[in-house]
Amino acid sequence: MKDKKRLLYIFLSMLLFVPIGLLTDAPAWGEWDSGYYQKILGFVPKGIKSAKSINAFMSDYSIKGLSDIAGYYISAVVGATLIFGIFFIIAKVNKNEKSH
Amino acid sequence: MHIPDGYLSPEIAIATYLTATPLWIYGFKKLKTILNEETLPLIGVLSAMSFIIMMFNIPIPGATSGHAVGAVIIAILFDPWIAFISVSLVLLIQAVIFGDGGVSTYAANALSMAFVGSFAGYYAFNFFKKIKFAPFIAGWTGIVSSSVLTSFLLGIEPIFWNENGHPLYFPFDLKTTFIALVGSHMLFFGVVEGIFTMLVYSYIKQKKEIKVVSHER
Repeated sequence: MKDKKRLLYIFLSMLLFVPIGLLTDAPAWGEWDSGYYQKILGFVPKGIKSAKSINAFMSDYSIKGLSDIAGYYISAVVGATLIFGIFFIIAKVNKNEKSH
Repeated sequence: MHIPDGYLSPEIAIATYLTATPLWIYGFKKLKTILNEETLPLIGVLSAMSFIIMMFNIPIPGATSGHAVGAVIIAILFDPWIAFISVSLVLLIQAVIFGDGGVSTYAANALSMAFVGSFAGYYAFNFFKKIKFAPFIAGWTGIVSSSVLTSFLLGIEPIFWNENGHPLYFPFDLKTTFIALVGSHMLFFGVVEGIFTMLVYSYIKQKKEIKVVSHER
């Protein structure tokens, strides 16, 4: 149990330092917005221009009206909680299925 | 490596969904056999770590950036199928909640970052098992293999889908994409994934109280 706690500490310290990820605003290779294609190619490929994407709730790991760092922190906590929570639910449902 | 919406043709998007769906079903069944009160905290925390490590954007020369994925550590501690499902879940949350990676391209991203990464890392680990740095090699091999599939899926777009000489979807050719993506993963992000895998693996293995599923099959 003590060791599981230590793993949790590693996780929490990663969480604490997560704003380091904001130090660069360079996009990943191949994850550009349309403006990049306009600049480099002189046109935006049709499929990319007309792409429909969903309105993400916390787009780009930020929250409107909050500073980048606060938004990034909250995104990290929300994401990690959702992921852990989904596993928790699967494990619970799984246990119930097995006991029946 | 998170391919956004509009970068892949519908044909490729559908093909990746058709490929990924049976793998998700099989993997999910496997997850249900392994997930219990003992493994839940570990699998849960390692998956949450995968989410967090992807938020550490690392700038590299050429005005771009990237990050580790954290799939391989789950693959070598548990099972590559568990890693595949865990990282698929992480990617789903990223796409739906944070707009990181497209929805039509979600299956493509899951196949590269979650499936190929986990299995390549797992086999590399078993191959180099006797070497002290096996977890590092596994992490590096896993993420580099993911980048190979991503560059292939992107790079074939302009070969098949054009209109009046203008590419319809992702515009850069296979060679350019391969050099940029696979090259940057070999030199930078693979090293980060390797170090991350090595650190967490040594930490877990050093603590004997944590029981992990053996990888014998």
